[in-house]
Amino acid sequence: MATESIKYLSPDTENKAKTQVFPRPGQHTTGLIDWLTTIDHKKIGLMYGLTALFFLIVGGIEALLIRSQLWDHNMTVLTNREYNQMFTMHGTTMVFLVIMPLSAAFFNFVMPLQIGARDVAFPRMNTLSLWCFIVGGLVLNLSWFFTGGSPAIGWFGYAPLTDTRFAEVIGDMGPDFWIFSLQILGVASLLASFNFITTIINMRAPGMTMMRLPVFTWMTLIVSFLIILAFPAITIALVELMFDRTYGTNFFDFLEGGKPHLWQHLFWIFGHPEVYILILPAMGIVSEVIPVFSRKPLFGYGLIVFSGAIIGFMGFAVWSHHMFTTGMGVVATSAFAMLTMLIAIPTGVKIFNWIGTMWGGRIRFDTPMLFALGFITMFMIGGFTGIMHSSVPIDAQHQDSYFVVAHFHYVLIGGALFGLYCGFYFWLPKMSGRLMNEKLGKFVFTLMFIGFNLTFFPMHYLGMIGQPRRTHTYNEGHGFEMWNQAATIGAFILGVGIVIGIYQFVNSFFNKKLKPAGKNPWDARTLEWTLSSPVKEYNFSRTPIIKARDQAWENNYGSKENHSEKEPLDDHGVHMPDRSWWPLVTALGLFGLCLGMLFHRNIDPSGELVRNYTVAIAGGAVMVFGIIMWALEGPGGYHLFPKEEEE
Amino acid sequence: MTPIFRKFISIPHFIIGIFLILAGSCSRIDHKQSALDPKGLVSQNQYDVFMLSVWITIFLFCAVGGCLLYVLWRYRAKTAEEAKEVPPQSHGNSMVETGLIIASSIILVILAVPTLQGIVLLNRVPDANDTESLEKLGLDRSQIDGAITVNVTGKRFFWVFEYPQFGIVTANELVFPASKAVRINLRTEDVIHSFWVPKLAGKMDLMPGQENFMWFIADQSKIIGDADAATAMPSVHDGEMRAKVFAKQKFTDEFEPVGGLFYGQCAEYCGNSHAYMSFRALAQTDEDFDKWVKRFQNAQNPNLATKSYDPQSSYEKGSLVSFADPKLGSGSNREYRSIRQIAPGQSPQLNPGAWEKAHSDDYEIGKQLFASLQCVQCHAVNRTGLGAKGPNLTLYGLRTSLAAGWMRNDEESLSKWLKNSNDIKYGNLMWNGEGVDDRHPLRNLENDDEKVDQLIAYLLGQS
Repeated sequence: MATESIKYLSPDTENKAKTQVFPRPGQHTTGLIDWLTTIDHKKIGLMYGLTALFFLIVGGIEALLIRSQLWDHNMTVLTNREYNQMFTMHGTTMVFLVIMPLSAAFFNFVMPLQIGARDVAFPRMNTLSLWCFIVGGLVLNLSWFFTGGSPAIGWFGYAPLTDTRFAEVIGDMGPDFWIFSLQILGVASLLASFNFITTIINMRAPGMTMMRLPVFTWMTLIVSFLIILAFPAITIALVELMFDRTYGTNFFDFLEGGKPHLWQHLFWIFGHPEVYILILPAMGIVSEVIPVFSRKPLFGYGLIVFSGAIIGFMGFAVWSHHMFTTGMGVVATSAFAMLTMLIAIPTGVKIFNWIGTMWGGRIRFDTPMLFALGFITMFMIGGFTGIMHSSVPIDAQHQDSYFVVAHFHYVLIGGALFGLYCGFYFWLPKMSGRLMNEKLGKFVFTLMFIGFNLTFFPMHYLGMIGQPRRTHTYNEGHGFEMWNQAATIGAFILGVGIVIGIYQFVNSFFNKKLKPAGKNPWDARTLEWTLSSPVKEYNFSRTPIIKARDQAWENNYGSKENHSEKEPLDDHGVHMPDRSWWPLVTALGLFGLCLGMLFHRNIDPSGELVRNYTVAIAGGAVMVFGIIMWALEGPGGYHLFPKEEEE
Repeated sequence: MTPIFRKFISIPHFIIGIFLILAGSCSRIDHKQSALDPKGLVSQNQYDVFMLSVWITIFLFCAVGGCLLYVLWRYRAKTAEEAKEVPPQSHGNSMVETGLIIASSIILVILAVPTLQGIVLLNRVPDANDTESLEKLGLDRSQIDGAITVNVTGKRFFWVFEYPQFGIVTANELVFPASKAVRINLRTEDVIHSFWVPKLAGKMDLMPGQENFMWFIADQSKIIGDADAATAMPSVHDGEMRAKVFAKQKFTDEFEPVGGLFYGQCAEYCGNSHAYMSFRALAQTDEDFDKWVKRFQNAQNPNLATKSYDPQSSYEKGSLVSFADPKLGSGSNREYRSIRQIAPGQSPQLNPGAWEKAHSDDYEIGKQLFASLQCVQCHAVNRTGLGAKGPNLTLYGLRTSLAAGWMRNDEESLSKWLKNSNDIKYGNLMWNGEGVDDRHPLRNLENDDEKVDQLIAYLLGQS
């Protein structure tokens, strides 16, 4: 390597600035406080991932209850209201508390490593994003314990069912919890997205041009843009709904001149890009894994990146295909049908290119590759049924039937979740430093693949013979029983597979018997595989100078001029930032603010409505206090002097 | 397992057996709400486009999937050494990529054309003057000219069907002529619902504050097959449909289709009992439909309602009058039918031999209960009662189903329903609506078999 050796041997000097107002937890913080105050993107990524896996289990239990209720006609495992709460919570949990944060976990962990950065651009903001996500998940699930229980409005919350006028439990608070939780989760996603965009644009290592970015990083960038463009729509819709419910405005109350149609437009102009927010990260992961296990570069890199961007762009122009049956008229319906068909092309391009990548390669079938192949085939089926739905006459029969349930589970489990599991099996050795048991991994894949198909393939047929979705039971004589039973059995198999997978992930952090991963166990191609596993807290001891797209591969197999170089280490070593309490405090303030808003109404003994904002104001004050303290915290930080090999 | 048992049930046998059972159950596609068994013009079009898309996607799946399998097999690393080889690092081929993009665009056009045609078809009834398109669709001008209009109003959790051309209102069972186009105007008074009869047409939502439109026309030849129209589609107006449905369908898996009976369902989540918000559509021959309309018009015509006995007038044989009957309680009336020509002054009291009781005692008491138990506040019987909160119960005894298509409309189910409707349909407005609480007389019916039987006699007597 073309660098001089480094003479310093980490002398652990703490370099505290005396000017700072409040001391920050420093270098030697350990244990719980370390995890609560960390601003290290890798630890934040891990916490994101762990919390999301926890919610995956919660949402999975909800799904299994749903499936048990549908085992036979007129079952009474759940009452109809409980069932409706289950599918609402299942949908909201899986979208906002599982798939999105799992993607965020990978964005956090992998993206800075892939671009040669020591951290994201705003590390404390990253921490705030994590805590906002956890607070949001908490608020949503707190709803179980208050009046009306959790919301029973569907994850889409269609007006006017959300209107207090049509509440089926007096004083139902479920929708309020749902509104506030989604708002907080929106804050979490927006914070993370601004952070990632800034990081990718500004903090790439020298030589890492945009067209040398790994595809996963590209997808991070595109998804981040989608989030910051899509979330404002749902934020406004939720604010309006909150005002309708709390202060009696009439945005969606048709009896007072409001327009329920408006909610659907606002929701889906967020909701459709959201679909791509869920699937593009998985596509990015698969685009990383397939080249590695085929030992070839990605076929048509430019086209894959470009088609990702096109999908993101066009994702904003197809939202009304969720509303084909709402009576939009011939012209609007036709336009959205055509645009929806068009978006199939860039999606198909990706599949062609993945196959092209494998063509002429040396294909290994390790667990990540199995999940990637599972992703391609299952996503293909989901994509095909998606094309069917773009055709309005077909959609008129499929809409709100089990065919649609089959379709989006093929995209979101067969697609997104398989992709994310692929990511876990691929990158977890980098996080934990240990290889997972391949046999167990393949067993998990087999269980998930069989269980998944047994659950969701029959639903195509069920939808075609007329089973409507979101119905808590069905009558005798429809012929639904048998395939629902198959689906229920499949769901339990899938559940077992997912749980064993989670066990394997968690276990790899604690089981010292597992084989160490080494720097590059898969002979992978991108920059993060030049680092030791687990990655040191400073990531790169010296910033790499990038010479090629697949830098790790080029270093091993490429010509001499393509090998990466390293910038010399500064005299002061690696500057590391201190930890901080204030993101946590700010998030807790937000939590208080939300609780205060949720519970500010009371009926006094005379029957008058009394509004009491004390708790909300106190929560808001804590939040503002947290932000001010954050700003006054001072620079802080310490320096590390890593040895040459330690990275 | 015993060896003999093992001999017969080997694993391959087991797998083949399972496969056969599954294939067998899948082969049946004429289930109650099957979109795979279209019986109308619009649903047939939707089915055709669907099958086109199925063949296209099967082709694509085989082509792309086959390609994938080939690649996986051909380029798999066979040995550990091979897995360490470095294959040529090619970065792509723009000709191949462009070619595939163009090919996929062409395939989409194949689907786009019938899609656009289908959008127009499901949104617009063909113009009766446009002979060319009528011919293409295989329609006769009279089928469009004689179209009926139905205003559908969705409420949680039942359906109101108003026939503005005929001035009649019914609920939960839509009767329509099999040979004529049916225009459906969709409205809702509370949340969003969706009108879906899979065998006749795809769905359309009922949006608050907006009127949506859809239409369908049944294909009479598909409903009746080779049989005679009148027998294949039992008539509703004389209760034959109800009898046939009861005889043929036992609400089990063994479902036998009844000609002209279609099942529908609310397809947009609308609250607690969304699953229970189903309905039925009953196709009729033109004559049977006209007779049904006539019966309904007479029943809901206030001028034809039974009048009190008038001592000044004479009555034809078979006339109905309302006259006091102290046996039913003081001040109570009952309906009498004249057996022969009645001269003025021959009231049922003075000349009992000339009159017969039109209904049983139970019916008459049930009628009073219907008012005194406050049923009448929400349910209209023998009037249109468009604003009523509950389903219209005119000619209720002709209906095949109860509780918005959920149960069979017989004494047993009706008794369960009246005693505790919340048990059957949790959250329904009859049990939980405005002004209904524990003091409501309805809530006390549970332990009062006599009253329930009397109410049933009255309700099922509406035929």
